[in-house]
Amino acid sequence: MSVDFLVVTYCFYLVISISLTIWVARTLFRNGRVFLVDVFHGNAALADSVNRLLVVGFYLINLGYVSLALKLGYDVTSARGSIEALSQKVGVVLLVLGGMHFFNLYVFSRIRRRSVLEVAPPPVVPDACVARAR
Amino acid sequence: MLTVLYDSNCALCRKARSWLQDQPKFVEMEFVAAGSLEARRLFPDLDHAATLRDLTVIGGGGEVYQRAKAWVMCLWALREYRETALKLSTPETMPLARRIIAWVSRHRLWLSSAIESVGLQGRS
Repeated sequence: MSVDFLVVTYCFYLVISISLTIWVARTLFRNGRVFLVDVFHGNAALADSVNRLLVVGFYLINLGYVSLALKLGYDVTSARGSIEALSQKVGVVLLVLGGMHFFNLYVFSRIRRRSVLEVAPPPVVPDACVARAR
Repeated sequence: MLTVLYDSNCALCRKARSWLQDQPKFVEMEFVAAGSLEARRLFPDLDHAATLRDLTVIGGGGEVYQRAKAWVMCLWALREYRETALKLSTPETMPLARRIIAWVSRHRLWLSSAIESVGLQGRS
């Protein structure tokens, strides 16, 4: 019985890509919480909710990409060809995951900056003080 | 709440005031013409001659900010520009801001007439 290298490549691709996505999403979920709790002024329930929603979006986009990028477009007939195709596909998935991860960090820091700005005190000291009639 | 005392005789200042008025804010702002009866009634102890020379902003607790500081406070009150205000007010950038604002303030009537003549040409 001959081995269908293409199907084996696809299987490896799916297992590796999905595991990587889960790993990055869990890292994001665990470490993003601290940021969000701070942003929402200690409201842990709201932070958890936003955190979960962000992670769901992250899963959808990444798994969507993994699924769309599955097809190789050429036949694989040897173990060597399989490994080469796999490394190329997984490489692109890693770059997409990296890009998405940094985008998420950007979103977190942007949300946080907003909340820091909201409570920032006046940046300059007054020249004098006067009484206000009324 | 910030009270902004602006020069109502200068077109540039009136433009700046209406721009400020339209911006989303963290802190509410009220605008009073500098040197007006209303300004004198609100702040009897203030040097009103000085408020006609330079933009003056007064905080809710009576804190008086003038010149570049007044501009920083106006930006600080705005949602979209608070970050700019914080960047502008660092020791490295404040001297430059002070110089630019002093120049604009000194030449505001000339700038106003320049803007108005350009505006008239654009309309005709």
